[in-house]
Amino acid sequence: MRYLDNAATTFPKPPSVVTAVNNCLKFYSANPGRSGHLLSLRAAESLYKSRKKAAEFFGCKNVENVIFTLNCTTAINFVLKGILNPGDHVICSSFEHNAVVRPMNELVKKGVSYDIAHVFMGDPVATRNSFEALIKDNTKLIVCTHASNVSGAVMPIKEISELCKEYGILFMVDAAQSAGVLPIDVTNMGIDYLCVASHKGLYAPMGTGILIATAPIERTIIEGGTGTMSLLDLQPDMLPDRFESGTINLSGIVGVSSGINFVKSKGISNIYSAEIKLVSMLYDGLRRNNNVILYTDYPKAPDFVPVLSFNIRGQHSEDVARSLNDYGIAVRAGLHCAPLAHKTLGTINTGTVRVSPSVYTNVTDIEYFINCIKKVSK
Amino acid sequence: MEKNIINTGSITYAIRGRDALRANGCKAYMFRKSGKDAVGCGYSVSTECSEEKIIKVLNNYGVKYISIVAGEG
Repeated sequence: MRYLDNAATTFPKPPSVVTAVNNCLKFYSANPGRSGHLLSLRAAESLYKSRKKAAEFFGCKNVENVIFTLNCTTAINFVLKGILNPGDHVICSSFEHNAVVRPMNELVKKGVSYDIAHVFMGDPVATRNSFEALIKDNTKLIVCTHASNVSGAVMPIKEISELCKEYGILFMVDAAQSAGVLPIDVTNMGIDYLCVASHKGLYAPMGTGILIATAPIERTIIEGGTGTMSLLDLQPDMLPDRFESGTINLSGIVGVSSGINFVKSKGISNIYSAEIKLVSMLYDGLRRNNNVILYTDYPKAPDFVPVLSFNIRGQHSEDVARSLNDYGIAVRAGLHCAPLAHKTLGTINTGTVRVSPSVYTNVTDIEYFINCIKKVSK
Repeated sequence: MEKNIINTGSITYAIRGRDALRANGCKAYMFRKSGKDAVGCGYSVSTECSEEKIIKVLNNYGVKYISIVAGEG
């Protein structure tokens, strides 16, 4: 199978990640932060090292601000439901995933309001102005995906961050599609809350996510045992324990650490340039096919991450994906849990076929893909 | 030799505190206190460094702690 569904989760995982996870499970998979025996302490050291590595990788000054979560969606929910109160206003981009839209709509029932800022692909100033036009006196938070999981368009994070600082608004970035592909430094980029899907661009196992919170989060949405301050009836205040109730996914988190090592060893800029080259090659191949509909400009750096959506005239995206599966190609079709992004692209009725390479994708895979599309589109 | 015990509220802070002290020339190790002696998260750091130096190092590194007590670590 030629796996081109890496925007959903990367596959395969690097051997180094598999080995690290395996070693954890085999040799020290005790419960960290709960006991005093050697294995628990070793597990705790390993957890701490992973936390420290993530903090360094994302430019976070305080290691305790790195919170390991189940996935990116959980991280986003922790922030939205932890800081927003009735009467607060939020601005989201027009490319947000349901991970943002659905919790926001739940919060609307509780008196929070939000507006959607239209993103002008390739025009950071217009996008910034689009956000600015929606700012109200009660705007507390701006939420923006770093890169669309449908179009691959990279959002003008720097401009939006500056806007947030100018107006004293908190800034949350959904880095599900960018972490490990684009450099992210929460300190330099002025990001208050960074949400990461570490099983994607960081090549960690599924069931792992990261929240980096450099600004406070008032409330928790999950409470329970943390191994900390057990006599307290209420959830402890200290990070990261406050947001890590229950037994954590140690082997997965060790995989995050190993995945970060993998990405660092390859070099983010090398990964990005190799993958964007493949997507550009794909774009060139598809645009020569008159039956293919493309929805974005040529995916050049730095405006896009390596994600490309298209359709074949007269065929539903799900049917195209099914045909490709018969040719041994894995892609994702439909709405990609991002109907808002599809409304923005004008593809809400058909969805799109999405192609997303990884470091393990090569030129032959893309050539094969283009040839298969020729057959499928006849 | 008498040691100082640093009680922390979180194992993250215990490890951070231990590493900060080691980086500043203090021998330090983390352990879990038992039973009625347990304070905070139950994890503490034992060091032979003076209380004055401990406070200076921990404050410089932004390591939160609950208490520093003399004791056998």
